[in-house]
Amino acid sequence: MKSLPRVLLVAVAGVLVAAPFLSDNPFYQRIAALTALAAISASAWNLIGGYGGQVSFGHSVYFGLGAYSSLLAFTKLGVPPIAGAPLGVLASFVLSVIVGLPSFRLRGHYFSMATIAIAALAEVLVTNWAFAGGAIGLMGPANARSLADLLFRSALPYYALFLVVLGSLLALTYLMQRGRMGFYLRALGSGERAAESLGVPIRRYKLYALLISGAFTSLAGSLYVVMIGFIDPNSGFGILVSVNMVVMSALGGAGTLFGPLVGAVILVPLEEMTNALLGGGGSGAAYVVYGAAIMLLARFSPGGLAQWWSLLAGKGRRGAA
Amino acid sequence: MAITRRGVLAIPALAALPVVAEAAGTVRIGYIEPLTGNAAAAGQSIKQAAALAVDIINTPHSDLAPMPLAATAGLPRLGGAKVEVVWADNQGSPSVGQGDAVRLITQDRVVALCGAYQSNVTLTASAAAERYGIPFLTGESVAANLTERGYKWFFRTTPFGPDFGKLYLDFLAYVAKSGVATGKIAIVHENTDYGTSVAESISSVAASRGVKIAQTISYGANGTDVSPQVLELKNGKPDVVIFISYTSDAILYMKAFKALDYRPPIVIGDDSGFSDPSFAKSVGDIAQGVLNRSAFVAGKPGSLPYKVNALFKQRTGRDLDDTTARSMQGFLVMCDAINRAGSTKPEAIRAALVATDLKADELMIGYRGVKFDPHGQNILAYSLMIQLDGKEYVPVWPTDQATTKLVLPFKGWT
Amino acid sequence: MIFLQLCADGLLLGAVYALFSSGLTLIWGMMNVVNFAHGDFVMVAMYVAFFAFTLLHVGPLIFVPLAAITLFMLGVVVYFALVRHVMRGPMLGQIISTFGLALFLRYAALWAFSANFVSLPDTLVGGVYDVAGLRLSASRLLAGATALVLTLGMHLVLTRTDLGSRMLAVSEDRTAAALVGIRPDPMQALAWGIGAASTGVAGALIALFFYVSPEVGNSFTLLAFVTVCLGGFGSVPGALLAGLAIGVIQSLSAYFLGPSTKDVVVYALFIVLLWVRPQGLLGRA
Repeated sequence: MKSLPRVLLVAVAGVLVAAPFLSDNPFYQRIAALTALAAISASAWNLIGGYGGQVSFGHSVYFGLGAYSSLLAFTKLGVPPIAGAPLGVLASFVLSVIVGLPSFRLRGHYFSMATIAIAALAEVLVTNWAFAGGAIGLMGPANARSLADLLFRSALPYYALFLVVLGSLLALTYLMQRGRMGFYLRALGSGERAAESLGVPIRRYKLYALLISGAFTSLAGSLYVVMIGFIDPNSGFGILVSVNMVVMSALGGAGTLFGPLVGAVILVPLEEMTNALLGGGGSGAAYVVYGAAIMLLARFSPGGLAQWWSLLAGKGRRGAA
Repeated sequence: MAITRRGVLAIPALAALPVVAEAAGTVRIGYIEPLTGNAAAAGQSIKQAAALAVDIINTPHSDLAPMPLAATAGLPRLGGAKVEVVWADNQGSPSVGQGDAVRLITQDRVVALCGAYQSNVTLTASAAAERYGIPFLTGESVAANLTERGYKWFFRTTPFGPDFGKLYLDFLAYVAKSGVATGKIAIVHENTDYGTSVAESISSVAASRGVKIAQTISYGANGTDVSPQVLELKNGKPDVVIFISYTSDAILYMKAFKALDYRPPIVIGDDSGFSDPSFAKSVGDIAQGVLNRSAFVAGKPGSLPYKVNALFKQRTGRDLDDTTARSMQGFLVMCDAINRAGSTKPEAIRAALVATDLKADELMIGYRGVKFDPHGQNILAYSLMIQLDGKEYVPVWPTDQATTKLVLPFKGWT
Repeated sequence: MIFLQLCADGLLLGAVYALFSSGLTLIWGMMNVVNFAHGDFVMVAMYVAFFAFTLLHVGPLIFVPLAAITLFMLGVVVYFALVRHVMRGPMLGQIISTFGLALFLRYAALWAFSANFVSLPDTLVGGVYDVAGLRLSASRLLAGATALVLTLGMHLVLTRTDLGSRMLAVSEDRTAAALVGIRPDPMQALAWGIGAASTGVAGALIALFFYVSPEVGNSFTLLAFVTVCLGGFGSVPGALLAGLAIGVIQSLSAYFLGPSTKDVVVYALFIVLLWVRPQGLLGRA
C-alpha cells in the first residue's frame, strides 16, 4: 500500500518531535533545541536558496541582524531580548530591498560571491563598531528579571518555542509551494531566462521569497541569542553561520519542504555527539569524522537525502530539484 | 517507556540539580580549553599541566608539602576522594564554550568548572555556570569585564588588565630613571575581548598618571600580513611598543620586524602569544630581548615553583610557561576549595572559595597569596617582568627577583 | 617612500594570492566546482615543505616541486574519489562535498601534526634586499617572481597548447567535447591536478615567510574566492591581476585607514565592481 510508508514516516516523525519532552536528559534536550533552531535557519534559507535557486552564502547577514537587534534592544533600552526580534525583522526587510534587490542582477556564482562579500563586509563593519560592542560582542541578561527574558535552565521551553516557529515557517513554505509563488519559483529554478521570456514577474517573486527568507533567518538569530545569551561578530555574521544553513539544506535536499529539517536532524546531533565523545581528546578526531561523514553523504546522495525519503514514501518529488 | 519526569514549560528554575560524584570516591571537575583552533598549543599545554596537578593531588607528594593537597592522597576531607578532570574543547568559539559548559554540568555532572583561556569564551561559559549555580574559576583569562558582571559563582586567581597596566607603567618608570626614553608608547592589540580590554586597562592606568599613549593600533587577529602595522610603527617612532596578541600574530610581527629592519627600543609582549612555546621555537632567535610578563618563575632549587617545574619538565620535556602555570594554579585553588568545603554541594564549594586565604608559600606560582574580593578577583595576584634571553625567558624586574640584568634596547636578531 | 614600500609589499603578497587563486580559477572556471578546501590544499603544501626541510634537509629548490607533485596527486585523487561523482548532481552537492573535504583535511592535519605553529627558519631564503630605499625580502621576492612565472605559464598552456584547448573544450561543453573525441574525465582530472599543483607551489613558497599550522587554510580560502571572482571565473590572467590588486589595496588601506578596515575596503570595492562589471575584470561576459 502506498500510504503505509507515509503513515510510518509521520509516526516516526511524531515520536522524534515528542521525545525530548519525555526524556529527562538535559544534554539531549539541548541538542533537540539546537536542532530545531538550525532547522529554522536552514528552512528559511531554503526559500530563496532551494526553491528560488539563488544560492546565497551571505544569509548570516540576516541572522546577525536579528541577533544584534535583540541584544542591542536589551543593552541600550533594557527590554527583554525577544522584544528586539520585530526590530530585527524590520531591519531584514530593509536590507532585502536595499541590498538584495540589486544583487539579483548577478547570476550564478557571481551572485553567491556577492553574498559572501556582503556578509564578510557586515562582519568587519560590526567588528569595528563600538556601539554594537565591537569585537567583544554583546551579552544578554545574566539573571532573569521576568518571564519575558526567557531565561530557562532547561532547554525544553526553548525547544517548544523553536518548534512553534519552525512549524509556522514550514506551513508557510507549504502554502507558498502550492500557490502561485511556488509555481513561479519553480519556473525560475528551471531556467531564469526562459521564465522571464514567458512573462513571469521574476524580480518581484524573488524579492518576496527573499523578504520571507530574510525575516525568518533574522528571527532565528533573535531566538539564538535568547537561548545562548551572547553574540559577537563571528557567531552572528561569520561565514560558518551561512555555510551551515546551506550545507544542512543541501544535505537534506534543497527545494524540498522537509529537506532542511532532515539535514539539521542529521548534522546538529552529529556535530554535538562527535564533540562530546571525541572533543575532549583535542586531537581533532571529532571533526575528521564529521568532515568524512559530510563527504560520504554528499558523495552518495548529491541530490540530498530527501530523495531517499520520497522514494520511501512512494510519492514523486515535490518542489524543484 | 517509563515517564520519569516531564519537562514543564516556563519554569525558570529546575530544582537545584543534585550534584553527586558519579563513582564512589571521585570528584569530577570540568575543564574547558582550546584544544583545537589557533590557540590549541596553549590549551594542550594546560591539559598536560592539569594532568600533573591531578597526580599531585591524588597521590602523596610529601616533598611538595606546603602546597595544599600535595602530601595526601586524594581530597582528605571528602574521604580521600580522587579528583578527575573531564575535558572539553572550546574550539576558540564563545558559543561552543558555552555549550561545553552546559554539557559538562548537565551530562557529566561536574561539581565545578575551570577555563577557558580566551576571555570571550570564558565570558559565555561562565554565564552558563552562573545560570546553573556551579562555581567557575578562571586561572588565565584577563579581560576586565569578567569580574564586572556582579556574578556570584565566578572567581579569578590570575592578575588581570588593570594589574598589567600598573606593572608595565611601573616598569617603564623604573627604566626611565636610568635615562632611557619611555615617553612615547604605542599599543598594538588584537581586537577581541582580550586585546581590547587589556589595551583599555593600560590606557586608563596611563591616563591616571598623566602618561599619554601615542599610538593605538587595533587589528584583526589571525590575519595574513602585518607589514602595514609595522610600517605605521616605524613611522611613529615610539620608544616603547606593547603588543597584546595571540600566537600567530606574535610570530608574524617578529618576522615583519626583521623584514622591514625595524627595532623599537623597547618591545613588550603581553604574555599569550609571546609566552606560547611555539613563539620561542619559531621566532625566538629574531626576537631576542623581547620583554614579557610572568607570574611564574622557576626560581631557586628547593622552592615549590622549582620542584613543580621539574616534575612538569619530566613529563613534557619543557619548562612551565606563565599561562600554563597560572591555569594550573587556578585548578589547584579550586580543588583546595572543594576539599575545604568537605562536600560537593555547589553552595558549600562557593562558600569555601569565598573564604579562600592561601599564603604565598603554599602556591606554585609567584602570587602574594590567593584571596578573593567581592567581585571574585584575587587581590593578591602578582606578576613580574621577564625577558627573552636565548631560548628562555628570565626574570629581570623587580630587581630583587631578577636573575639577570635587564638588557636594553631590544636586540631582535643578529 | 612609505607609499612605495606599501605598494611593493602589496604586490609581492598579491602575487602569491594570485598564484594559489589561479589554481582555483582553473577548477572553478572549468568545472563549476566551488572548492571550499582550496585553502586547506595550501596548508597541506606548507606542511610538505616544512617536513621536507626538517626531515630530509632539502631546500626550496627541491621541496617546491615536491609539494607541487604531492598536491597534483592529491588533486587527482580528490577528483576521482569525490568530485567526479558529485559533479553529476546539483551544485549544492558539490559545495558541501568540498566543505566536508576542507574539514577533513584541516582536522586530519591537526591530528597528525598537532596544533603547534611551526615555521621554516628565516634564513632559508635569507636576506633582505635594499632596492632604492625599498626593503624587499628575498623570500617574498622569490615567491612573487615564481608566482608570476607560473601564472603566465599556466595561461600559456591553456591557450597555446593542444592540451590546453582540449581542457578548455571540456570546460565549455562536456558533452560536445566528448562528441568530438575528447574524453572529459582525464581532462578534468588534469585540471584538478594542475589546480592543486599550483596551490602546492604557492603553499611551499608561502611557508618561507608565513607560519604553518592546521588552521592557516581558513584565511586563504576566502581570499582565493574573492580573487577568483574579481578576476573573472576561469581567467588565469584575471586571477593574477585581481591578486595583485587585492594585495596592494590591503596594504594601502591597512596603513592609511587602519588594519581593521583593510578587509572592508576590499569587500566594498569588490561589491561595487561586481555591480558595475559582473563578469569580473577579465572574465567572459
